[in-house]
Amino acid sequence: MEASSASSSSSSVTFYDFLDRMRNPASLDLVRSIKSFIVSFSFYAANPDNDAKKVQEFFTTMEDTIRDHPIWAGATDEEVDSAMEGLEKYVMTKLFYRTFASSPGDIKLDLEISEKIQLLQTFLKPEHLDIPSVLRNDASWLLAEKELQKISAFKAPREKLLCIINCCKVINNLLLNAAMSENHVLAGADDFLPVLIYVTIKANPPQLHSNLKFIQLYRRQAKLVSEAAFYFTNLVSAKTFIVDLNAKSLSIDEIEFEESMQAARETNKLIPEEFFTTQEVMTTSQGQIDPGASARVHHKETNAGGSNYPYMEAEAGDLTVRDVERLLSLYKDVVTKYTTLCKAVKSFPPTKTESSLPHLEGSSILSTKPEENTENTRE
Amino acid sequence: MGCSSSLPDRSSGRLVGTNSENGGAPDAKNIRVKLVLLGDSGVGKSCIVLRFVRGQFDPTSKVTVGASFLSQTIALQDSTTVKFEIWDTAGQERYAALAPLYYRGAAVAVVVYDITSPDSFAKAQYWVKELQKHGSPDIIMALVGNKADLHEKREVSVQDGIECAEKNGMFFIETSAKTADNINQLFEEIAKRLPRPTTS
Repeated sequence: MEASSASSSSSSVTFYDFLDRMRNPASLDLVRSIKSFIVSFSFYAANPDNDAKKVQEFFTTMEDTIRDHPIWAGATDEEVDSAMEGLEKYVMTKLFYRTFASSPGDIKLDLEISEKIQLLQTFLKPEHLDIPSVLRNDASWLLAEKELQKISAFKAPREKLLCIINCCKVINNLLLNAAMSENHVLAGADDFLPVLIYVTIKANPPQLHSNLKFIQLYRRQAKLVSEAAFYFTNLVSAKTFIVDLNAKSLSIDEIEFEESMQAARETNKLIPEEFFTTQEVMTTSQGQIDPGASARVHHKETNAGGSNYPYMEAEAGDLTVRDVERLLSLYKDVVTKYTTLCKAVKSFPPTKTESSLPHLEGSSILSTKPEENTENTRE
Repeated sequence: MGCSSSLPDRSSGRLVGTNSENGGAPDAKNIRVKLVLLGDSGVGKSCIVLRFVRGQFDPTSKVTVGASFLSQTIALQDSTTVKFEIWDTAGQERYAALAPLYYRGAAVAVVVYDITSPDSFAKAQYWVKELQKHGSPDIIMALVGNKADLHEKREVSVQDGIECAEKNGMFFIETSAKTADNINQLFEEIAKRLPRPTTS
């Protein structure tokens, strides 16, 4: 089966194990149900709520099927669970382009949020959110930002969620460290949320709204609970705060706020928008949620296709399933060219303003993440 | 740090709770309860739960101590376990509108105020109203007057607390996270009030 296309975005051990079992002739019935489920989507127009319902029902059914299947005979709950993680990843990678940011409304919201954050980045400071100075730790914040920015580098809901959890764990450690070494009374969410909001603004994670919606709809429901649900809710909360943010949300003078926003608008108008990330990512994350679990990030040059785009004249009815692979590679080619172009244009902005956020520059680019120690000790 | 370890506690009530919250563990013997903490910033919400979480020392219990999410499992006498998953919320005014995101699906809401601060008591009453309007109808609510050790600075009388709680069908308790007074009782009382699991 065409497992290779799905595995190109991951090297997770559990995922390979899942694929291996699926290659076993004894799983032919499972493979057939999975394939026919995925194909069934091509008969209907995309509809996030219906699609999510169908996917979640499919996961539930498949969990029972797997549990009773000879190939998983005698499997522990853990093994069944990791098979389900494999299934979620396989199905959602296949359905990604249909299910992610699928409505014009989502795309619009993503853009609006990203633009608003860009404006806020130019002047927002920790004191505007009354973040205590013992919690202002650039190294920790940068690490948390990087975790959040990886969110679009993954297609599987679990891996996207993991980016959020890792980001929150970094902040958690910062708070716990401050409580121990600085004698700062642990203030729980009173400290946690403002830091998360500030980190989110600094990170400006790509397609924030769509990523959150995708996780909410397609992460297996039994898994979006407890601590994972808590951190997820906090990022939803941070996003909501940012969307509704006005001068009254901040410790800032109203006139100063409006002027700063206006000034930022005028500057940003001159810089073209960039909101796609095309990096393909390989990850070794094994499902642990400790902040040290870093993902190996690879940049992959997509150099498929020439300069001609043969489908320009095609009608939807002319296309067959065979065209999908070619179309996808052409699509990647176009996106890569587009983003490269944007970056090139961006590096020659007509005017350059000083950013008030120290490591804003370059932070939008996913880079190879070294093993970093999250136990940042403050000087 | 204000919150250190308290006395061991052999958990009491044989009553058990619910796993009605978002797809909870379908196991009647192991109940998961989502508990949300509401209250003004500075009333000691985090200290109360830290006291509770660190104070238990059942060696079999799994504990998660985060800065804003904590979980603690207590074993009841009938060998049922209740896992409290405690969601802290930011108490500052500017985040008030976000609270529904947190208390959605919660089985228990603990509303905390500081007995030395009438403002925090007013804020607690605001949360109670919010929960009645937007929380799930069968949510269990507790009203907690914290910092009970600061007698000489008391500005909210015990009577005011009791009245407010009675009026709103909540149970009321005064605690001190500092001395660990009534901390375990708070969570035991909550465990008692959880609905019995449906026979399955």
